[in-house]
Order: sequence, then C-alpha cells, then structure tokens
Amino acid sequence: MAQIIEARAVSKRFRQHRRFPGFFGALKTLVTAEYTEVEAVTDVSFAIAAGEAVGYLGPNGAGKSTMIKMMTGILVPSAGDVTVLGRVPHRERQANAREIGVVFGQRSQLWWDLPVRDSFELHREIYGIARPRFDENLKSLSRLLDLEPFLERAVRQLSLGQRMRAEIVMALLHDPKILFLDEPTIGLDVVAKDAVRKFLSRVNRERGTTIILTTHDLQDIEEICPRLIMVDHSRLIFDGETAKLRTALGSARRLMLEFAADPGPLELKSARLTSDDGLRKHYLLDRDDVSLVHVLDELGDTTTLKDIALEEPNIEEVIRTFYQRRNAELPLR
Amino acid sequence: MLRTLRILPRLALMYLRSQMEYRGAFWIDRIAQIITYASSFAVIWILADRFGTIAGWNWSELALLFSFHLLGYSLGACMSFTQMRQLEEAVRLGTLDTLLTKPVSPWAYMVFSGLNPGYTGHALLGIGMMGWALSIVAVPWSIGWVAYFAGALISAAMVTGATLTMIGATALIWTRSNHLYSLFFGFWELSRYPINIFPTAIQATMLSLVPLGFMAAVPVAVLLGKPVPILGDWAGPAALLAGPFFVALAMRQWRYALNRYQGAGG
Repeated sequence: MAQIIEARAVSKRFRQHRRFPGFFGALKTLVTAEYTEVEAVTDVSFAIAAGEAVGYLGPNGAGKSTMIKMMTGILVPSAGDVTVLGRVPHRERQANAREIGVVFGQRSQLWWDLPVRDSFELHREIYGIARPRFDENLKSLSRLLDLEPFLERAVRQLSLGQRMRAEIVMALLHDPKILFLDEPTIGLDVVAKDAVRKFLSRVNRERGTTIILTTHDLQDIEEICPRLIMVDHSRLIFDGETAKLRTALGSARRLMLEFAADPGPLELKSARLTSDDGLRKHYLLDRDDVSLVHVLDELGDTTTLKDIALEEPNIEEVIRTFYQRRNAELPLR
Repeated sequence: MLRTLRILPRLALMYLRSQMEYRGAFWIDRIAQIITYASSFAVIWILADRFGTIAGWNWSELALLFSFHLLGYSLGACMSFTQMRQLEEAVRLGTLDTLLTKPVSPWAYMVFSGLNPGYTGHALLGIGMMGWALSIVAVPWSIGWVAYFAGALISAAMVTGATLTMIGATALIWTRSNHLYSLFFGFWELSRYPINIFPTAIQATMLSLVPLGFMAAVPVAVLLGKPVPILGDWAGPAALLAGPFFVALAMRQWRYALNRYQGAGG
C-alpha cells in the first residue's frame, strides 16, 4: 500500500528562555538572555499507508501534539523530513490543508455565537466544496453522528459532546484523505466517547480515510487503531500492531488457579506466584512461550483443580507497567 | 488566491452577525467611543482657542489634522487592531493552530473574521469634522490636490495597519505582544499634533522606527503647504510611499514570525 505520511529522523527543538528558581532567580531571569533547548521530538521515523488508523500515544509532554503539528504544517521540524501526500507540509501548508482534516479536542474551529450550519457553510467556501457533494456529505455525516437536531443551534448552546461531533463532521465535509485528531474524546462522557469511537472506526473502514489519533484514552486506540505508535521522552519506543504491544513491552499475563481443597504452597517453574489465598492462587506468566498446557503439565495431578483463568493484560496495564519500570530506571527496550 | 478573496466578505459578514448577538454592548461601545473622541477634540479646541495657534496651526487646520488622523486610523485599525490584539490570546490558547490548518492565508482570515464595525463611530466623527474643517481652511482645490489627499489617507491607513500587524506578529515568536500596544498608543497620542512641536529625537522616531508621523502630521502639513522637519521637500512623496513600504515590511515580518512560530503548550 502507498505510504502517504513519512517521517524520517524528525526532531523538533523548542528554544526557551532560561528561568532561575526563587525570587532572586526571577530577577536574574529578567536581566539575562540565556536560552535552553527543549527536545519535543527526537529522531522519530515512521511511515503510514493510505487507509490505516494509527494511534499516537504517549504521556504529557512526550511530543505527540508537536508531531501532529509538524504533519499538519503548523510547525517546522528542526531536523529530518516530514512528507504528507508527497508534500512538505510547512512549505505547502495550504495545499496540504486542502487534503487533510484536523480536529483539536480542546480548540474549537466553530463560530461560537453562530449556528453550527454557518460554520459548515464557511467551510464549504474555504475548501471550495461543490454544493451537491457538500449537501450529501453533510446529510450522511450528520445522520451518522445524530447532529441534525443541532444544526441550527448556536455553538455556545451545545454540550461538549455535541460540539465535538460537529467539529468532527466539519473536518470531514471536504472528504480529506487524512484525518488528524488531537485528543478528540477529551472531556467527553462515556456515551459521547462511544459514539465518536464508533463513528471514526466507520469512517476509516467505509470511506478509507486514514486516521492519525493522539489520545490519553487507551480505549480510543483499542477501538479505532489497529496500529500504535508510542512515544516517551520525545523518542519513539514502539511502532506496531496494538495487539502486539504487550509482547513488545513485556507485560506478564495473569493466571488464577482455584482448588476445591487447599494444596498448600504451590511454586511453579512456568509461572511466578504473586498471591496465595489458600484455595485461590495467583500467578504471573512472564514468558510468552509458556501456555496453559505447560502449566497443567507442571501441575500434574489436577483432580483438586476447580477453575482456571488466564487473563491477557489490557493495554492500560501494559503501558502502566512500562512506565513504572521506566520510572524505576530499568532498561527501556 | 481567488478563493481567499471570495470568502473574505462572508467572513466579515459572519463576524458582524456574531457581534449583533450582543446588541447592548455593541451600541454602548459606539457611544463611549464617540464621547471619548469628542472630549479629545474639545481639549485641542480649548488649547487652540486659548493660545490662538499651536506651532503655527490654527484651530480649523488642527481640526483637519485631527480628523485626517482619526479617519486614517479607523480605516487601518478596523482591519488590524482588534484582530492583532487577539493574536496573543490565539497563540496562548492554541486557536491560531486551527487557522494554520485551513487552506487560506491566516492573516487574511484573522483580519476579515474580525473586521470591526465598531470603527464606524470613529469614521463618522472623522468625516463630519473633516467636512467642517475643509469648508473653513484655505485649500488650493485641484484634482491633483484631491488625488494626493485620497492617496495620503490610504497610505495613512496602511501605516496604521502595518504597524499594528508588526506588533501583533511578535506574539508568534514571543507569545506576548499586547504590552507593545501601550508604546504604540503613546506615540499615537503624539501623532495627532503637528510634528514640529516635538524635539528632533521624537520627530526622527515618528518618521522611522514608529512611523506614526505619516498617519496625519506629515501628509496634512504637505496638503496645507506647511514645512515638515527632517523630510523637507521629500515629505510629499514620503507620505504617499510610507503606506506601501511599511505594508511590505509587515508582510515580510509576518512570514518570518510564522516560520518561527512555536505554538504554546501541547
């Protein structure tokens, strides 16, 4: 499949005025002209093919939004190259903008005091969308996101969920090839989040729109993005299938064995005992090549075994484990 | 380019409609502006009446200067002041980012989506006073004089818009710019008086670094045949060329600042 976004050894450094701590430090800050460079993105490379849905994940300050801003032409990279649909976004910002849609979860693009439809009509003129195509897109997208009842309402009178749905519809009215979403579900309630996720999945599947999504909500990624790019401290630490993240970051599976009668302390070679409640014993399976068959083989006599449960860690656990390990200064990769 | 030009009237209309949502504030603001300017006129009238002339300018000539300044300022500021003052907040809150992802010039979008009808009050007051002053002042009426008057007025509006844009654009690099407007309005107050009443250092500043001397003092002095310090005989063409020159400078600075834009947060 054709690569429509390519980032090659991209870095972005921000120059910041150096600040000194304390009151006298503040005075010193006023009279000095010292600068420090903050690395927001360091040597990041990836390629995204047409039709993919990619989650861009990382903690606050990891460089997610900065990367989105470079791909949309807002920021100029300090080093490396970004190309989107064969263009360098910051050099051909307007041509790039014509073929992408952007949604910022915390920044509205709608006119606050006017009805939603007015913002859509302005969007039509800005992007030069032919009237029949605009009407058709507005109708189908509004129906999918249940936006029709709010089209004539002033944006300031909408709830956050309704507003976000309007923002997403607007970003799709010109049939962009790529949709960038920067934390689109932030602040939304469970129902609104669910509606947005289902809609985005459908847009990706049915319209073939490539989706790049940054989020803190891992459920967004699990439901929308088969592929995950993870960054931490400005560097790329994982790029692959979301389902394979656990293997890559080495999070253990959990095993629970329940017995009809307490067999006493039960240490296993294939699994690590983490808690023992007598009848119920909990283990962690650290190695991927260990299966339930290995565990049962090692147990031998299973006549007192009443129940068994093997749980894959969810993405949130995987990432939490990763950050905990990182904070304990263990090797990252 | 053509598409951008086509959407500008719609942007202006949408802004006007959004302003009309708050009718009370709109009209109170207009009345307050008229009272503020009328009191400024009154101060100059009292000074001129008490002392006869100010640096060789009588009351009707000062009224022409004041009205030219007000009209040129309102034409330039309606396309720049509110918009550029809001740029600092747009940078801080990240709303500028949303403009940069649209296939339009962010400057044109900002200017026309904030085209301020509030300056109608300024313009009406300026036109009224200008009409009165022109009926009294001894003016060498001719097509050339009228053409120069119109050209100098447009140039004055361009100087205003360019200066305010250059101040606003600094927010793209430094995040904060609004403190510079106090500096602008300090010189703006001075630019309502004949330039020859100031010391040479201030005259030089107002004809170069802070070019507000071209807003009214220089062109009106040329129109009335009065001497212009520093510029001398070059004052006539300088007043006409100042607008295009500072607009070109502002455009260059805007592009430079946009390329160095770092955003704020996120």
